[in-house]
Parts: sequence; structure tokens; C-alpha cells
Amino acid sequence: MFQPDAIREAFQLFFTPEVFYWMAIGVTVGVGVGAIPGLSAATGIAIMLPLTFTMPVAPALGLLIGLYKGSVYGGSISAISFATPGTSEAAATVYDGYKLMKKGEGRKAVEMALAASVSADTASDLVTIFVAPPLAMVALKFGPAERFWLVVLAFTLIGALSGKHLAKGLISAALGVFLATIGPDPVSAVPRMTFGVWWLTGGIPFIPLMIGLFAISTMLQESIKLLGESKVVEKVKAGIVNGLLKKGAGLTFKEYLRCWKEMLIGLGVGSFVGFLPGLGSTVGAFLSYGVAKQASPEKKIGEGVLEGVAAAEAGNNATVGPTLIPLLAFGIPGSISAALIGAALMLQGATPSPRMFKLYPEIVYALFMILLVANAFNFGIGRIFGRLYARLGLLPKPLLVPLIFTMATIGSFAYRGNPYDVVLALAFGLVGYGMRIGGIPTAPLVISFLITPMMESNLRRALIIAHREWTRALFGSYLSIGLCVATVALTLLSLKLKGAEMIPKEEEKTGGNSG
Amino acid sequence: MKRHSEWLRCNQGIGSVLSLVLIAFLVYLELSPWVHRRVRDGFTLGFFPVLGVVLLLVFSFVLIVDTHRREVPPDLRTFTFKPFAGGILILIATWVYFTIMRKAGFLIATPFYLTFFIYALGLRSWRKCIISAIVMTLIVYGAFTGMGIKLPAGILWGILPF
Repeated sequence: MFQPDAIREAFQLFFTPEVFYWMAIGVTVGVGVGAIPGLSAATGIAIMLPLTFTMPVAPALGLLIGLYKGSVYGGSISAISFATPGTSEAAATVYDGYKLMKKGEGRKAVEMALAASVSADTASDLVTIFVAPPLAMVALKFGPAERFWLVVLAFTLIGALSGKHLAKGLISAALGVFLATIGPDPVSAVPRMTFGVWWLTGGIPFIPLMIGLFAISTMLQESIKLLGESKVVEKVKAGIVNGLLKKGAGLTFKEYLRCWKEMLIGLGVGSFVGFLPGLGSTVGAFLSYGVAKQASPEKKIGEGVLEGVAAAEAGNNATVGPTLIPLLAFGIPGSISAALIGAALMLQGATPSPRMFKLYPEIVYALFMILLVANAFNFGIGRIFGRLYARLGLLPKPLLVPLIFTMATIGSFAYRGNPYDVVLALAFGLVGYGMRIGGIPTAPLVISFLITPMMESNLRRALIIAHREWTRALFGSYLSIGLCVATVALTLLSLKLKGAEMIPKEEEKTGGNSG
Repeated sequence: MKRHSEWLRCNQGIGSVLSLVLIAFLVYLELSPWVHRRVRDGFTLGFFPVLGVVLLLVFSFVLIVDTHRREVPPDLRTFTFKPFAGGILILIATWVYFTIMRKAGFLIATPFYLTFFIYALGLRSWRKCIISAIVMTLIVYGAFTGMGIKLPAGILWGILPF
């Protein structure tokens, strides 16, 4: 698996001023996106994705991964500053962070969030680097039947863990299945479900779908809220930020070390949750927070202590690297952000698949380097501009919404220069809005949209090989049977996790759109 | 009437509306000849699309009968049609802007679109709206052209350096 030539090539791809420049831009924009309530990592990546078309692969990955990492941390800034999590993954940070803020220790809380985020993120990236290659080796042994079961396994997790209401998660996943079948049949290449519309014969392109579901639908929801409410500028929040965040002592190294246990819990829980497809960083943060609270009742987590902030932030940032493991090893995205990073790879001609390590090892190694180095950028930029970012949460929505709307419209057009992509993005914006207000999560739709073609083509290939004998096609090897058993076991485990009441209400409120 | 409106907002109402739409769509698909056309591996062309719709129908039906059926999603509780109609207008206006922008050019059409958009969302000073719109247009233009993506120049074609 160790490929010295590929590593050398990866170094060449990675060590360019362009990569560092775009990584810095990505983190800067990401922390800002995270700090603005209503914008998630996925929204930020969806808006930025069209800008990567013209870039070489490494700077494009630097921009998106920097943005992803930055936004997961950035959510904590507004969570601590005014009890409004910038992203759903920072919701668990509110409990202790805001109480610390009220005690006048806001600066300390923000710095703890940053330190815990970066520490857990770096350690979980190392986990990713050590786990993904051996898994990819196993994935190479997979035939169509095994790949089919792997996709089924991903489906069961997505369905079972998409918010509080299982049926809604499954509706979303089924909608993804349906949308994925529009376009050419994978065996005969004959167009289907096009309703006679010529520009649907190639299927629904992923980028307008993403821009519509995340950027346009979020901004549409904000617009509708603004149109319906009285125009009162919230000056109270500005007072909180100016009055409290500026004052107070910073985090000491001793205080940082005192939270080692919570950060370790965050690392373990976050890495595990990140690795499982469909869970996301919000679940990671809440599970880690819950486990830390149970593990050390004497620390009084929940009453405004740094340990609570450390557990939640380590838990959400530790999912960032491992969420890429299923994408790199099996070609299955573990979260929306991973799906978007996968889309960026596709645009660069390196489609994620079980053969990713074999076909594009230099890109995978460059991605590993970016994962690690982006943490240093996250730490530096987050620390220097932390206070400034707290003010971003106060940016007037009447300016922010039109700006993002314009970027989303132009971005969906710039992707292929096809005006119908704008029609699709606007239409999916409306669909996404409907799903949000109906409490239907959008995450299962995205992941099932991406993995359905894999499932269909592998099932059909397996059946062709087994001369249409279903039993032989699906259970023809021990690996297939093992994956089938794992599917059942993981479904039961995920249902148990769901029942543990650690999944936040915010997850459903935000449509399960976390990272 | 009010009770009907309340019921339509709960999960059971959502599930019922979805089920009715999906049944109609399933009938339409069953009547479409392409759905029954066989491809070379023995599957019909419509097998997987119909499977997707059937799954949607099954889960929509589950929404009608499961334990959460009486719950009203929080955002739907406060939903009213007037602001929603405004949202639809924004989508239509965006499409109109996009169509004009392709002919007139990004730098000409975008400040107008943004000015009206900002004003509609609550900033009640035309001067501030216009200045913000121009600044935002330049930010978007700079971001895209900076990445090497050409935006429609329209009537400024040949004048703009990018």
C-alpha cells in the first residue's frame, strides 16, 4: 500500500503557494460561515464548489477542506457569544459556552473551543490516515455483490439516523433514490424519467442540486422569515459581543491540559461517529458531550465549565477527517460535506471509488497533507480573528441573503454554462425549503442520490454475473454474507444510538443538515 | 375550516397529501409505455424509478400512521402563505434577473436585482441599498473572475478587461 512515488507526487501537488493561499482563504471563509447563524459547512462548500472548476486539484481541496474545518469550529463562536449556534454541530457548545460567557469568561470559552477543535481534529486526521488505506485494500477485493451490500449498509444507517423521525429520514432517502434514477439507464444508456425534457436526458447534475438544496433553500427560508417579520435591528446582541467577548482572560495551558479527558472522549466518539456514514458532526458533538458528562459527574458539565466546551467541540471537529474514510475507501460519502468534497474530486476527474487509492494515490496523499496542515491554519486564523468573527453573526440578513442568492445563482450557471442548471437549482431550492419546513432532513436525500447509481449498477452487474439467480448474486461469497450481517448489526446499533436521546432536537430543526 | 388547516400542518396531513400526489404519479408512470420496456439484462426501464416512487409512497403512508402523526413541525406551525408568496416571487425574480443578466451583462443587471432584493428584505434606504448592491456586485464579480470564471459581459463586451 505504501507508494513512495505517489507520496513524492503528492508533495509536489501539495507544496505550492497556491495550496497554502487557498487553504487560508478556505479557513477564513469557513470560520466566518460557521459564525453566521443559518449558514452551515455544507452551504459554504456548496457556494464555493463552482469556484473550484478552474483550479488544480490540490488548491481546490485546500479551499474546501479548509472551509469545512473552519466552519465546524466557527459555529462555536456564535454559540458562545449569544447562545445561537452558527451551525447545528455547535448546538452542544451552547450549554456550557454561553454560561461561561455570562460569567465574563467568553474569551476563555472561545479559545477552549478552538484548542479542543484543533487538537481533536488533528488526532482524528491521523486516525483517518492510518485507517483509510487498509480499508481501501479490503475494498479492492470487493466485487459487485459486496459493493451492493456496502451501499445497502450505508442506506440503513442514513435511514435510521436522520433526525428524530425515522419515516421522514426515509422519505428523504427515497426521494434521493427517485431523483438518482432520472437520466440514462446504467446498463442500456436509454434515458428514463425525463418527462420529454431534453436537458434531463443526462440526469440531474449534482452541483445545481446541492446549491439548490443547501444555499438557495436556506436563503429562501431566511427571505421568507424577513418578509414576514417586523424590521427590527438587533442591537442587543452587539452589546453582548462588545461588552463581554472583549474582556476576560484568555485560556491558559494548564486549563487546556485540564480538559484532556474530555478531548480524548471527543476524539474517540467523534472519530467513530464520523466514520459511520450518515451520522455527521452534530451527533458526534452531542454524543461526546453526553459521554463526558456521564464519565465525570464531579466536573459539573452543563453548569458552565470549560470541560463541557472541550467535549462538544472535540466531538464535532473529530468527525471531519473520519467522515472522509468511507468516501476514500469505498466511494461512499459519510456526510453532506464529504459528498461535496467527493463532487469536487469528480469535477477534477478523480471519481471517488474503492479504486481511489490505486488510481489516484497522489491525490489521496495530498488530501491527507491538506487535512493535517489545514488544522494549523484553523488554529492561527481562528485565534487571530476570533473576536472579529463574533461580529459576523450580527451581519444584517437583508444584505447577506441577496449576496448568497446571487453567488448561488451564478455558481450553478458557471458550473457548465447551462442556463437550465439555474432552473434546477431554483427548483431544488423550493424543494429544500419545503423539506425544511416539513421537518424532513435533506442529508439522506443527498447521500442516497449519490449512492443509488452505485447500488443499481452493482446489483445489476451481480445479477448478470450470477445469470439472474438472486441468491447466488447476493450471497455468493462469505464477504457478501458478512456485509449483510454487518448491515443488520449496524442497523440495530444505530437504532439503539438513536434511542439514547442524545441526538439533539436541533438536528431535526435544521433538517439534519450537519456537516 | 381552521381544523382542516391545522390537520394539514401535522405529519398525518403531510403524509396524506404526499401519498395522494404519489399515487397519481404512480398511475401516470404505469400508463407510460417506456416504463415497461425491457432492457438487455431483463429489468424493465422503469423498474428502479418506480421502486423509488413506491418507497416514497410507503414512507409517506408510514407518516400517516406512526406515533409522530399528530406532531406539527415547528416551522410549519408558523407558516403563512403571504410571506411564502413573497419567497416564490423572489425565485421568479431571480430567474428573470438571470435571463436579463445573460443578455445585458452581469455588471449591468446585478446591481438592479440586488438593490430591489435588499430593499424588499427590509433595508429602507434607497441610497444604502444602491451602494450595498454595487459593492456586492463587485465582490461577486471579483470572486468569479478571480478564479478564471467568465461572467456574461453583455453590452459591455469588448469594454471589460476580463
